[in-house]
Parts: sequence; C-alpha cells; structure tokens
Amino acid sequence: MGRKSRRRGILRIDPVGIFGVFLLIMIWQALTLALPPSSLPTPSSVVARIGRDFIRAEELSFYGLADTGLLNSMIYTATNVMIAVALGSLVGTIAGFVTARFHNVRAILDPIVMTMGTIPILVLAPFFLIWFGVERMSAVLLVVLYVAVILYIFAQRAADNLDPVYEEYAYTLGASSKRIVWDILIPGTVPQVLGGIRIALAGAWGLEAIAELLGAQYGIGKIIQVLAGATDVQGIFAALIVLGLVAVISDGLAALVFAHVAAWSAAARPGGN
Amino acid sequence: MRLENGIAIKASQLSQSFRRADGQLVDALSSVNFEVLKGQFVCLIGPSGCGKTTLLQIIAGLLLPSSGILEVGNQVVTRPSPERGMVFQKDSVFPWMRVINNVEYGLACRGVGSGERRAIAEHYLERVGLAHVARAWPRELSGGMLKRVAVATVFANGASVLLLDEPFGALDYVTKRHLHNVLLTLWAETGRNKPRTVLFVTHDVDEALILADRILVFHTGRIVDDLALVAPRPRTTDTLLMPQMVQNKHLLLAHLGLETKQAGTGATSSIVRAAND
Ligand SMILES: Nc1ncnc2c1ncn2[C@@H]1O[C@H](COP(=O)(O)OP(=O)(O)O)[C@@H](O)[C@H]1O
Ligand SMILES: [Mg+2]
Repeated sequence: MGRKSRRRGILRIDPVGIFGVFLLIMIWQALTLALPPSSLPTPSSVVARIGRDFIRAEELSFYGLADTGLLNSMIYTATNVMIAVALGSLVGTIAGFVTARFHNVRAILDPIVMTMGTIPILVLAPFFLIWFGVERMSAVLLVVLYVAVILYIFAQRAADNLDPVYEEYAYTLGASSKRIVWDILIPGTVPQVLGGIRIALAGAWGLEAIAELLGAQYGIGKIIQVLAGATDVQGIFAALIVLGLVAVISDGLAALVFAHVAAWSAAARPGGN
Repeated sequence: MRLENGIAIKASQLSQSFRRADGQLVDALSSVNFEVLKGQFVCLIGPSGCGKTTLLQIIAGLLLPSSGILEVGNQVVTRPSPERGMVFQKDSVFPWMRVINNVEYGLACRGVGSGERRAIAEHYLERVGLAHVARAWPRELSGGMLKRVAVATVFANGASVLLLDEPFGALDYVTKRHLHNVLLTLWAETGRNKPRTVLFVTHDVDEALILADRILVFHTGRIVDDLALVAPRPRTTDTLLMPQMVQNKHLLLAHLGLETKQAGTGATSSIVRAAND
C-alpha cells in the first residue's frame, strides 16, 4: 500500500498545450501579413465565418448545397464516424481474438487483413463509390475497413500477450470456456483494445472527410470539396477547424471513458506489483 | 481395500517429455509413482527444473501426461476441476477484478448465489488478514498480499486437493513465516469438515520441515526420496532442533547438493522413512 493515488487528470487543461495553440495562432496571424487573404485568411475572419456558416451557409447554396451549414454537416460526418468506429472495432476485435486463438484462421486472415490495410484510400474509394453509391454507405464502409484493420492488429496482439496463467487459473477455479472469454480474455485485453479504438478514432475523422471529398452528398468533406471548387479558402479553413475541434473533443471524451473502464490498469506500470 | 478410499492422489508410471524449441527432448518427469493420503500435507522439494511444476500442472489437469496415469479420488484426471485448486508460481490474481471479486470468482463460476459467495469470500479474506483491502485493485497490493489473496481464493473455492507451486518463494522471511501459520491454520480448520490434501512445492528446506507431514524429494524428473515427518504440530524453532528433524534437514541438504551425504550427525538408518509402496 502507501502508493499515492494517481487519478490522472484527463480534463485538466495543460498550460503547455494552451501555449502551443496560442503560438500557432500567432504564427498564423503573422503569416497573414505576408500573404493575401485569398491564400490565407486571418484567424479572426475564419472565426467570424464559422459563426456565419454555422447553421446555414449562404455560399453553399450557390454551389448546389442548399440549406446546409457547418453544424448539420458536422453531425452527418460525426454520425458516420461513430457508426464506422463502432462497427469496425467490433468486427476487427472479434477477428483479432479469433485469430489469436485459432492458428488456422490466423494463417488465412493475417495476409488478407495486412494487404487490405496497405491499400491507399484513394485507390479503394472509387471502387466503393461504384459498389455502394454516393450515399452514407460508401464512406462508412471505407472507414469501417481501416478501423477494423487497426483493431484486428491491436486485439490480436493483446490476446497474444495476455499471460496464459490467467486462463489456466480460471479453469482450475471452475470457469467454463464461455466464462473464460467474458471474464478473462475481454477484460484482460480491454486496455490495449481501447487504446486501439482511440487511435482508430483519431484517424477516422480524416478518412471520413476524404471519403466525403471523393464522393458524397453531405458532410464536412463535401463542404470542403465544394468550397475547394470555388477556391473559397476562408470557408475551407472554417470547415477544417470545426472538424479538428470535434476530433479533439471526441478524443478527450474517449480517453475519459476508457480511463474509467480500464481503471484497474491505470497504474499497470513500473512500481506496481 | 479400505485403504483405497483413503488415497487422494495416485500417480502410476507418470512421464512427461517436452520438445524444446531447439528440437531437444526434455524428460520433465520419468516414470513417477506415488500415493498421497487424504488430508496429508506433502511438500515436493527439489532443485529448479526437476519437474515439480510439471507434476502440479498434470494433477491440476492443465497438462496431459505423455504416458502414465494420474488419479485423484479414484478418477483419472483429464481436465481441470474446482476440486483441485492451484496457487501458481507466478501471480495469477486477476488484475481486472477487485480483491473480493477474485476470491469469490470460483464460487460465481459454480453458480453460488451472490449473498452466500460474498459471505464465504469475506470469511476467507478475513482469515488471511486482508478484510481491509476487499475493495482494492490487485495492483494496489504487495507481492505477499497477492499470495494471500490466492490462498484465500483456493480455500474459499472449497477444493479438496490444494496444489501450491512455490507460493511464498519470492517473499521475505517474516512474511513467509506469517503465511505458513495462516496456511496451516486454514488447512487444519477446514480439514475438520472435509480433508484437504496439500501438495506444496518448495526448494526451501526449512519451509518443508515446518509444513510437511511428508516430503517427496525430486531430482531430474524422478522421486529420489520420501520422508515422513512425525514431529508434532504446531512446529516451533525448538521442533526444528529435534534430532530427527536435524537429520532430515541434513538429508535434504545433501539431496540438494549443499552437503555431502556423510555430513549428517547420525547414521542414515535412524532416519524415519515413509512406508512407500
Ligand atoms: N512447456 C515446456 N516446453 C519445453 N520444456 C518445458 C516446458 N515446461 C517445462 N519444461 C522443461 O521441463 C523441465 C521441468 O520443468 P518444471 O516442471 O517447470 O521444473 P520445476 O518447477 O521443478 O523448476 C525443465 O527442464 C523445463 O525446461
Ligand atoms: Mg517450478
């Protein structure tokens, strides 16, 4: 005992982080002095633009996106990301666990999954658009694929690394195979799997935006694509900042939830017995 | 035939070989034969790598022997059972369950109601002196406390055969002596309702002399000696100074290669040997 309690302050704002953001804005502001607004809008004009476009963006209706604003586009994008991360994590984690325990399945799946993971999204996206159309499905499935690959690797490695002594111990205490999965395999790998989900989530925002850029009818990516066609740099900046903020907030929330779920391992680091 | 019923564990021509990654064949156990009576406290002693852990794993049902038969309670062991509880050499307490949930886990697996199993778990935690950390996470406990959790868990689970693999090997002297008392008390108490047979692996000679009714000495996969300890319990420092205990100690040290065979004070003939058949 006597080890000091270490609730990590996830919500604690790091002063160094604040300084970093402040520095970035200063550099941005300084650069606007040298570059024309058509190349680089000022920070304040972008903030103003976010406010103006938040509910309904006039400019977008000129380009065929009627009744759309940053808010509902962001909700569309975020919904897709949440569905894709949930679905991809589930599929990837189950496949990772199965392959960690059944070596025949692993021999078959490993090369397939690894190959899929290396296909660039720009190559894959056109196929998905042809197969699944320009609705929600295409973008979601693209992201599902990449999330599943990441979780496959994380879950498989976590199950490989789980000390077999826990399963043996559970068997000697009278656990059934079903209980081994629910009481040993899943909780024992939860910290690494959740770490994988966090990484996948962070990447999913960018992938979803790219998928929308390449062919979609709604979403932040769609807005960026339309504004890029009109070389509206200020509008693109506004959309990117909203996307970035949501991604950072979602990562913080995920960290908070995961720290709670894996509370037992919060200090599974040197010093623990 | 009446004696058959008094036998808890019986090993017949038990052998286990492993193929190492380099292709070499290792005989961890070579034709081991022994019987252990119900309620006996048996220590297995021998140098590192002589097959002690392998034997316990076979008895636990975690490993099928290459050849030979192992019976517990007149049944051939083929798989693990809560009747045979194991305290592993390394820490096996589940880090993702609070201490109390660890202790009641086996009972939960067998469908014991939550109120009843909580009461049982609390009782044994109390007995090993850990009632105050029932709600703690295992990572918050010291190594000695984790071993006590493991001991409480196997006793709470009600196994009639307890397999302990160097449970206190890594602990300091004081903690170790304290845990010997805890273990012996629990063994004596619970043994009144239902005999608890204990197989306790150690390479500590004094530990074996304090704990055992009988000591099986292992060397390179074989049983090389079988000693009965008739000294009364509870055993104290003075008990360990009794002539026959001193002789046994010399003999064990000789088996471990720490003394030459002649070094004992008395003739080997005076040493009490178990009737081993
Ligand atoms: N899974 C295994 N694969 C290969 N060799 C093993 C395995 N388990 C044990 N051994 C070998 O069997 C012998 C006995 O091991 P063990 O029973 O762990 O010894 P002890 O517990 O007495 O120290 C050792 O030589 C060890 O290297
Ligand atoms: Mg061992």
